[in-house]
Amino acid sequence: MDRNRKILISILSMLVFTAVIAIVHISMNLNEQTAVTLSMKTPQFGAGVAIVRIEGPIGFSVDRSPLHLARGSEAVIKRLNELEKNSNIRAVIVRINSPGGTVAATQEIYNKLWKLRKKNIQLIASMGEIAASGGYYVASACNYIMANQGTITGSIGVIAAAPNLKGLFERFGIKMNVIKSGKFKDIMSSHRDMRDDERELLQQLIDLSYNRFLKDIALGRNMNESDIRPYADGRVMTGETALQCKLIDGIGTFEDSVYKAKELAGLASDAPVYEEEKSPIEEILFSMETLFYGRNILKEQFNMDDYYRLEYRLVP
Amino acid sequence: MILAKFKSLLWTDFFLYTIVDPRSLYRQIGKNDPKPFLLSFTVPAITSLAGILTQSLLSVQSSFFYTKITYGWILVFIFDSFLIIISAALMDMLAQLLGNKGNIREMISLINYSHLPRAFILPIVYIFVILQFAPVFMYVFFSTVLFIWSAFIAILGISEMHSLDTGKSLLIFIFPYLFTSVSFFFMIFLAVVSALSYLV
Repeated sequence: MDRNRKILISILSMLVFTAVIAIVHISMNLNEQTAVTLSMKTPQFGAGVAIVRIEGPIGFSVDRSPLHLARGSEAVIKRLNELEKNSNIRAVIVRINSPGGTVAATQEIYNKLWKLRKKNIQLIASMGEIAASGGYYVASACNYIMANQGTITGSIGVIAAAPNLKGLFERFGIKMNVIKSGKFKDIMSSHRDMRDDERELLQQLIDLSYNRFLKDIALGRNMNESDIRPYADGRVMTGETALQCKLIDGIGTFEDSVYKAKELAGLASDAPVYEEEKSPIEEILFSMETLFYGRNILKEQFNMDDYYRLEYRLVP
Repeated sequence: MILAKFKSLLWTDFFLYTIVDPRSLYRQIGKNDPKPFLLSFTVPAITSLAGILTQSLLSVQSSFFYTKITYGWILVFIFDSFLIIISAALMDMLAQLLGNKGNIREMISLINYSHLPRAFILPIVYIFVILQFAPVFMYVFFSTVLFIWSAFIAILGISEMHSLDTGKSLLIFIFPYLFTSVSFFFMIFLAVVSALSYLV
């Protein structure tokens, strides 16, 4: 029995010895300590500046979100509604990085911003890489517009486009049977040439939207329409040119916009900035959406609905 | 007195019987000489340290390693001990439901000692680390083997404790795992149903 006990003691000693050797082995192969930075966010309180981001083409979300999460212009308006109810928000920075979008969606954002402006909330548009057409339309609702020297802006105008595939249809012998209630019901059809009366009707529509665009810009910028019209021929321009044309108020970065917002709102320089943040649960739900949200490649490549849109948009 | 008992090497019998004869292990626990309960907690202490060292051997460590084998080891030891006490309590509960006499103190000691084979993962994996021969695979493989050995010791010990056949001992042994799995399944299932009901 004593022999067995001694064997066991040896086994336990072997375990201890292995542990010591392992510690030495690991210590000799230690990597240089990597600096671990922990970003701790302290909660912010009090009067401050909020940030709203408008990125990508502006439009309503066509497909219903499976998880009922707001998308497109609805998400922007939802965020603005939240800020409107928050008494701590004295200024809002609208960070725009958009080539524009559909007329109705752009106007909805413009009108919402205008409502905030009437409530004496200072609005500062900060233009990023591009803020053209509808992007500029939205910016014009703000009290102050700031852009980088190289920001692409302008492109004031309305566009509607549809391909004419008549030749292609004829080549492949495809004929469309169209039964319609009125002569304009198949306006912008791609299988035939556009008639003059149709072109005239669409031109009227475009002109109406264009005039609304000009009126809203003039209202937002506190300028005469006649002063804007020379530059409102669809031309794109850099931030510097836009400043010369008085389409913007200043050249500066996003950080400059934050300082300007605090200055206009009469806030201290260390006043809190409320960034648009999603809760971790919302982040998870957004990432889950891509799993539920089936994408139809054919639809994305050839969506006929797109050709019936009037757009305030920079089309390259 | 304590030193005399230590020198007598009687305490080694628990470890010895754990390896060579699990049925005798329970008989030794039942004798209560030397007292097995507190001594049995040296086993989770050893296995938690062996586990940390083994996993550390499998990858390049930063200086955080020293924190792991000091404070981290104590944390793992407490966590392991907690799991052992909970699982022993569940095993004892089922044993009583099956008409046996409960003895939680001896059950905890038995389950603690049954974990001893897991300490051998360190020397085994270390050999493969030195040889650079699939150490991660060997870690997973031998962890499974040692778990089975550990389970075998516990089942035979329970069988001896309650004079039960191996089937019923196996049932008592796997009860905590079954209980936890079923509970977690229903908890997750109900959480998902509740979350979807809220969202949709």
